[in-house]
Formats: sequence, C-alpha cells, structure tokens
Amino acid sequence: MTKSDTFVALSTPAGESAIALIRLSGAFCTVISEQLLTKDVKPRYAHYIAYRSVSGQWLDDCVMTYFQPGASFTGDAMLEIASHGNPLIIHNILKDLQARGCRLAEPGEFSKTAFLNGRIDLSQAEAISDLIRARSDRALAVAERQMHGAIGRKMSELTNRLLVIVASFEAYIDFPEEDLPDENQAGPIQEIKLLIKELSNIIDTNEFRSVLSAGIKTLIVGEPNAGKSSLINALTGSDRSIVSQQPGTTRDYIAATIMLNGWAIELIDTAGLHATSDSIEQLGIERTLEQANNADFFLLVLDAVKPSPSLPSAIIDRMHENNTIVLENKCDLPHLHPHADFYPQCLHQQMCLSGDIKGLTQLRSQWSQLIEKNLSSLSHDAIVVNARHVKALSAARSALELARQQANESELSELIVCELRVAIEQLGAVVGTIDNEQMLDCLFNQFCIGK
Amino acid sequence: MKKGLMFGPNQPYDVIVCGAGHAGCEAALAAARMGARVLMLTGNLDTIAQMSCNPAIGGQAKGHMVREIDALGGEMAVNTDTTAIQFRLLNASKGPAVQAPRAQCDKKAYQFRMKHVLELQDNLDIFQAIVEGLIYKSGRVVGVKTKLDVDFYAHAVVVTTGTFLRSLMHVGQNKNEGGRMGDFTSKGLSASFEEVGIELQRLKTGTPARILGSSIDFTHLEEQKGDEDPTLFAFYDTRANSDAFHVEHRDQELLGWRPGERQVSCWTTYTSDKTRSVVQDNLHRSAMYSGEIEGTGPRYCPSIEDKFVRFSDKDRHMLFLEPEGRNTDEWYINGLSTSLPFSVQLDMLRSIAGLESVHMLRPAYAVEYDFALPTQLFPSLESKKVENLFFAGQINGTSGYEEAAGQGLLAGVNAVRKIRSQPELVLGRHEAYLGVLIDDLVTKGTQEPYRMFSSRAEHRLLFNHPSAELRLLHHAERCDLVDASRLKNIHAKGDKISQWCQRLESERTRGDTYAMHLRRSRSESDFPQELVDEAREVRAEVLYRVAFKGYIEREMKAIDRFKHIETIKLPSDIDYSLIKGLRHESAEKLSHLQPRTLGQASRISGVNPADISVLMVYLRAN
Repeated sequence: MTKSDTFVALSTPAGESAIALIRLSGAFCTVISEQLLTKDVKPRYAHYIAYRSVSGQWLDDCVMTYFQPGASFTGDAMLEIASHGNPLIIHNILKDLQARGCRLAEPGEFSKTAFLNGRIDLSQAEAISDLIRARSDRALAVAERQMHGAIGRKMSELTNRLLVIVASFEAYIDFPEEDLPDENQAGPIQEIKLLIKELSNIIDTNEFRSVLSAGIKTLIVGEPNAGKSSLINALTGSDRSIVSQQPGTTRDYIAATIMLNGWAIELIDTAGLHATSDSIEQLGIERTLEQANNADFFLLVLDAVKPSPSLPSAIIDRMHENNTIVLENKCDLPHLHPHADFYPQCLHQQMCLSGDIKGLTQLRSQWSQLIEKNLSSLSHDAIVVNARHVKALSAARSALELARQQANESELSELIVCELRVAIEQLGAVVGTIDNEQMLDCLFNQFCIGK
Repeated sequence: MKKGLMFGPNQPYDVIVCGAGHAGCEAALAAARMGARVLMLTGNLDTIAQMSCNPAIGGQAKGHMVREIDALGGEMAVNTDTTAIQFRLLNASKGPAVQAPRAQCDKKAYQFRMKHVLELQDNLDIFQAIVEGLIYKSGRVVGVKTKLDVDFYAHAVVVTTGTFLRSLMHVGQNKNEGGRMGDFTSKGLSASFEEVGIELQRLKTGTPARILGSSIDFTHLEEQKGDEDPTLFAFYDTRANSDAFHVEHRDQELLGWRPGERQVSCWTTYTSDKTRSVVQDNLHRSAMYSGEIEGTGPRYCPSIEDKFVRFSDKDRHMLFLEPEGRNTDEWYINGLSTSLPFSVQLDMLRSIAGLESVHMLRPAYAVEYDFALPTQLFPSLESKKVENLFFAGQINGTSGYEEAAGQGLLAGVNAVRKIRSQPELVLGRHEAYLGVLIDDLVTKGTQEPYRMFSSRAEHRLLFNHPSAELRLLHHAERCDLVDASRLKNIHAKGDKISQWCQRLESERTRGDTYAMHLRRSRSESDFPQELVDEAREVRAEVLYRVAFKGYIEREMKAIDRFKHIETIKLPSDIDYSLIKGLRHESAEKLSHLQPRTLGQASRISGVNPADISVLMVYLRAN
C-alpha cells in the first residue's frame, strides 16, 4: 500500500465494439501520461495520438485524457484511454500498461478509491453500482439521486433533528443553574416519536429495491384459454425492442419484462387454474400458487363468454383493489357473461385481446396509475436503502424506541442521552461521522446559556 | 528544606514554572512533591492563585475535575474545601454521574492559603520577576530571561502565563494593556514563542463588574443558601483527618477553617426592561459590537449584549450576586459580563432589581490575549516544537480555574518525568475528565476559550465524582503522586467497595437480592445496616456501581470496542504523504498533529473512519 500503486481496468464491456475505454488511477498515471503523450500533458484535454508500447510498437490510434490529482473521479491522478473496441487491441494495451507498472484493478476499486479519498460518501459509492445495474427509468432516477448524495442529505437532516433533542437534554445536565425554561420532556418525546416513524418509512423503502432492480412481479392468472398468452403477446408486442427474455431454470416462468411508464414489469405466466387430475398440470397449478405468494401485482384474465371461475384461496387472499386488475376478454363476442360482480372492488377492464389497441392503451394507463398509487412513497425525492443501511437504521430505531420508553418513564436524562447518541452514531454509520462540537453548537443556539 | 535561590547557567533547576495562577501552583507543587528542584516565577507574589473572575470552584464537570486533581495529589480540592464559604451539590435531582460539587470561596483566603502552601513546600522556590523570554539551546528550552535582567536556568520549563501575553483590556472604547485589571502584560514572551515557530492566536474573555454589598437592597431578591450537609472536594476518607490543614505540614497553622463552617448565601435577581433598553441603545459603544475586539469569546459565557441580541425573545436574564469573601464586602455579579463603557455600565447596574443605588467597585471589562494553539502540544503537554517546554492553563486556550489546575498538575508531573526519562502520564478519555480535556486540546484545538462540559465526555456515566480516586489510582501509584499511607487507604477502600458490590448481588432480603432492590429504588434506604455504617464515599460508590450496573457494563463494553485503536501506536517518523488511499487533507492534518495513537488520530476533525481503516491497513502491512 504505497502511493506508487496504480491500477488499470477496461471500463466498457468485453468483446467487440466501436470504442473501448481503459482507465487507470494512481501516482504512475502522471508519468505514464507523459510517456504516452510524448509531450506536455494538458489536463482534461482529449489528446488524439498513436498508442505506442514500451518497445515502441504501434498498438492503436487512441484518444487519451489526463486528470490531475484532486480533479479526478478517484481523487488520484487518472488517465482515460479510448481505443478501438477490438479485444486484441485492448489486451495489448492492458499488457503494456502492466509492463509500465500498473496492476489490474479489483472490482469496484475506482469507486472504492473515490470513497477512501473522500470524493464521495459511502452511500454515494453504493449508488454507483445501483446506477450501473438499474434496469428501469425509475431505478435510474433513484440511483442518480443517491449518487448525488440524497441519502447523505437525509441522514444529516435526521441527525440534526436528533442533535436538537440531545441538546435540549444536555442543556439541563451541563447548565443546572441557568435560567432555562422548565425542563419539559413532552416535546422531545413527540419528536422522537416522529423520528421513529420516519426511520420506519425509510427502512421500508428497502422493499422497493427488488421492485426497482428486478421489476414489479406481475402474475397473470386465469382459466385455460381465457387469453393469458394473448395478453402477454399484446403487452410484449408493443414493447418488443426492450423485452428481455429470461432463460434459465429458476426464472423460466417469467414470460417477459416490459416497461410501463418507467417501471420495469416482470410478467409471470401461470398454468391455467382449474380442477384437474393430470399430475403434470397439477404441479403447474401448485407452482402458480407458490408464485402468487411473491407477486406484487395480479392481472386476472376472464373469459367473457364463460361464467366466473372459482379461484384457489391462496390467490384470492392476496388480491385486493390496489394490486389487481380484472380483464374481461373476448367482450366482442355475443352471449356475454357479466363479470361486474366478480371482485367488484377491483378495477375491471373490458377488452378484446385480439387486436384491441384502444383497450390495451386503456389497460396500460389504468395499470400504471395503480402502480403509481401503490408506490407513491417512492415519490420524486424518495431514497431507497440497501441491506447495510437497513441494519444501521434499524439499530438507530431500536435506540430511539428505548429512549422514548425511558423518557415516558421519566428516566434520568443522562441515560436517555446515551440511547440518543447511539442513534446518532448509527445514522453516521450510513454516510460518515458526526462531531460532538455540532451538538454544542446546537445547544448554544437553542438556549441562552451563561450566568 | 529550602536551599536558596539559584540563578545563572551553572545552577539549573529541574523545573521552572512561569506563572503562579491555578495552573502554575499545581505544576510547581506536583513537580516539587515528586522531589524535583523547582522555581516558580510570578510577576506579582500578591496575586498567587488569584480567582480573576467568579469566586466559585467546581460545578458541572469542573467539580469532577477538582476531585480528579485531588486523586492525583493536587492541592485545589483541599484549598477549596478549607476556604469555601458556601457548598452546593449541583444536579442533585439527576443521576449520580452528573451530580457535581460546587463551592463559593473566600478569594483572599484561597490565595493566602495557597501561597502559604507554596512557601512551605520543600524543593520549591518562589520568586517575583516578570519573565520576558525563554532561552533555547539546540531545539530545547534551557532557561528564562526576566525583566530584572536575571536569567534562571532549568532542564524543563512549564509556561502557565494565562491571559498575560500581549493582553489588552476593553471597557467600551477605553483600552489598557494588561492581563487583568491592575496587572501588567508580557510582550517579550509572545515574541520568544514566535521566534521558535510556536503559533499564537487571539482569544477574548471578560469579567463582570464588582459592587459593594452594603449598597445592595436584598429585600426583594431570592436567597440561595448552601447545602447543610456539604459535599467536599478532597477525599478525606483516605487522607488523614489533619490533612485538611495540609499533608506535609501538620504543625503549621495554615489559613482556613473547618469545611462547611459558617456558610454564607448567594442571591438571585433579574435584568429589567430598562436594562434591555440601556444595552440596546448603547450596543454600538460595546467593544465587541463596534469591532474593537478581534478575539473569539466563549459561547457559554456570553456578554449581556450578546444575550439581548441573540435571545431577543427573552424578556429578562437571571443574575447571581456572589460574595467574594468573609473579610470584604465586594460582590460579584454573575451573568453580567460586558464590554460596554463605564457610564453605560452604571446605568445598566442601576436598572437591576436590588441594585438601584449600587456602588460599583470595579467595572466589567473584556480582555483579549494571545494563546498558543494547543494542537502544537503532545498529550504530555510538551511542545512539539521545543523539547522540555510544557504549556498549561489559559495559554492553551482554556477557560476556568479547574481546567487550568488540571493541566498544570499534569504538565508538572510530565516535566519531571521527561527529565527523568520516565514514560509520560496521559489519562485516557475513558478514565477522567482531565483525559478528555487534554485529548480535546491537543487533538482538536479550540476556537473559543475551552470549557469542560460533561457532554464532551463520551463515557461520563463512569465519571461519577466519588469514583475519581479509584479511577485514577493506578496512575497515582505508578507515578508516585500520593504518599504510601494514602495509597494503602485507597486500595482498602477499593477492595471494600468491590466486596460490597459482590455481597449485594448474592445476599437476599424481602424476597430478592439487595442488588435488585437497589436497581429499582436507586436509594441507600435499601442498604443492609452494616453498609449504612460505612464511610460516605464507600456508600456512594457502592450504590452507583450496583444500581447502575447495566449502564456501567455497557460503557465498559463500548470502551473495549474502541480499546484496540487506542492502543495502536503511530510511529513518529511515519510519512503520511506516502500512504496510499489517505486523503490529502487528512495526510496534512496527521503530519501536522502527529497523533500518538490511532485512537487520537480518529478524533482529529476532518479525519474520517475511512482514513483510520487506511491507516490500520498500512500499519499492518508495515
């Protein structure tokens, strides 16, 4: 571990492409840049120049950009080399850079270095990997907010509110003879209660992580031949370009992933639900019931010319007005069975899945409204926490719950403060730390101290 | 035995202490009691141990420190107990950890007694001379120059010059040089520090007006009496009874009286609407508000101008009237610091209930002075720039008699240990307020006159004041700071307390262990009779340890968690600029502050947990 340690990595995906980007970070970057550019290195300037190896051999024509220490992503000197996207060229350049003293970077080492150099806080570093993996507009938006420090800002807001509470206890401990207003714990208790609520809300956003990263699991349920496959075709057909088939044994029930108003939706096809003695079909039905347990959303497809079906309780119990749309298919045919009384609390959409563009558009719009309503807590400024955050935030919440209980029982304030300080430490663990001087600032701003 | 004054380069002392305030007295006594030959120089023998501001010692966190000073063999506790005219236990309604003894002292008695203790102390010479500069020799301090043109030499020097460096006093637009009204200022010494690269900055503090007691109308004021059963500062249960009148000189008649005898009262009053308008109408004439003063003042002791400006919604402010002694009628007005001009001060005083026809004896004033950035010190309080030069007290940017005395004691001890090539005495943050104080100073520095608050100590639940002696016993023993008979008594007390704690966990009464009863009631009323008969200090500590066992154990666990980084030493020759992954800003701060341990490094502002991880990895790899 010395400053001369310089690492290099291919930053674009391996394989053929028009352009590949190779990045290196560390103290050698400056020397290597001087060697490669063979003249004065102008920082933050795209130099178009032939890449020649240590032995002088031409490897490729590249665009190279040098970043000075303190003015780069990692905080150390960096060099970015854009070459042609030929795996052989990339291999040769990486080999040459290693000959010049670089080593291959470990996964995530650029972000880690940026964090260690204080360029970003921990939650920002984590958001970078979220950003790279985001598979929907919504996931992107959240990752982007968090990469720009949204979690850090939220934590410091909560921390500041906690500091005010701590200060209001500390004032009476450290300044017993001051002419302070009568010590009243009702205010702090109320504020602690609000903070517990707020922490719970933030902790709950962890559930959205899978919704954002994998998509909203949507189970398509219905009797055989009710039109489930037509529905999937209709939905995917209009979004063919961004549908990704998910092969593999564990996820083979996923018919497709589609985009709906920025949300990623995983469509899960199910076996038709009907009484059967066929053991293979029976197996399929059992699996459907299993999947129902994990589903976020249900699309129930009904055949308008048949009577309403009876569904297994495992599915019925999970369906409610906020997660289910009932589709009455084949409504263009005569001899309609009115299904309006079937799950009347759920949204009903009548349509004809074979070529009913208007019905499909209506479905998409109602569906996306319902999703927006359900996930309204993921509003434009929401943060979504990961498992590490949840651990720290839960510890903070437990400490606050203890503090609230102690305050309700009129416990000694120096003991309540201990719990509050634990909560502050835990919030600090999400992004960084906090200095006691900040609490004193808070105290002196809040109270007139000084006899 | 006194051996007579020594001067010139051929007769060096072991230690010279410059200054005879609260820091200087403890430094000189500690060093001399360790057997070192000590010279204490003061600009004025009549202001030894002067309480320049309020006539009180102790209070929240400060009272705790005075007890810690006593545990380490210092003088402040006994001197306070025997010259106090009122005792109060603060925070009596809160838990034992944050209860704090406080005493109003007879200022003159306090000074006279301390001076007499110094005069009687073996190995200690005191002499009146103003120090004008230090004498350096190849990166070390070797002596001091005085205004008498007499030079004194020593192996180590402790500087405790308080607010006297380039000090300027303000009363409105009126300015006078001096570190305290009626006293001088030292300019040469500042230059002498700057000459060797010791950086100085400005701070500001102040003191309110003094008034004549007979001109106060007490009729409508509220009386604040002392506690009938006073909480004392010194540990008399381990000292001999006669120790109240001094350890080494039992045959000597020192000034003072039986602690708690003949207590006097303080009084409270309030500012009025008139006070507020007087202040507001004359804000522009205040030295602070007119920009005359550049130094930073303390947040916890704002001037009355500040109070009315910053807390304009508060109609009135409480003031305490405190007597300065038994044999004087001079009174101190606590809460009325100001740098308003003299005539405005008079108007202001007369607007206060009870002071309508008050007679002012001394005006309030603000004082600006140089302090030496304490981050230039090692945790032993030795300068990083000049070997064998130690700093203690207000010159390090602190405020308060107790903060000064604590530093003085440790600087005196460490000066002697340094010249004897013994390891330094550094108290941990988990051991004592004095540990927190010095760690904060040398690690974080300070932006305002630093005062101790209990909230600065992360483990204050362990710092209940009766435990000071036991907490610091191993240091007192290792450094030979208290005599053998007292050490024996402290050990015996500790054993007795541990035994009681064990017994209470197992012995039962009324269907449960004593310990469980105590955890519910937190009261000595649940003690077995045999324990009721024990000394007060024993009872208090047993009750605390048993009733708050869960909390104390939790603190101990927290300490253990961080202990590993406290014990990891950082080599002094470490080149932080070469450590990969260390932020530039942190590397600079670490190089500048040269922390001794990883724990200290972690508390430097701007050094974050990631930097500490990087350092850990670096240390493991090397």
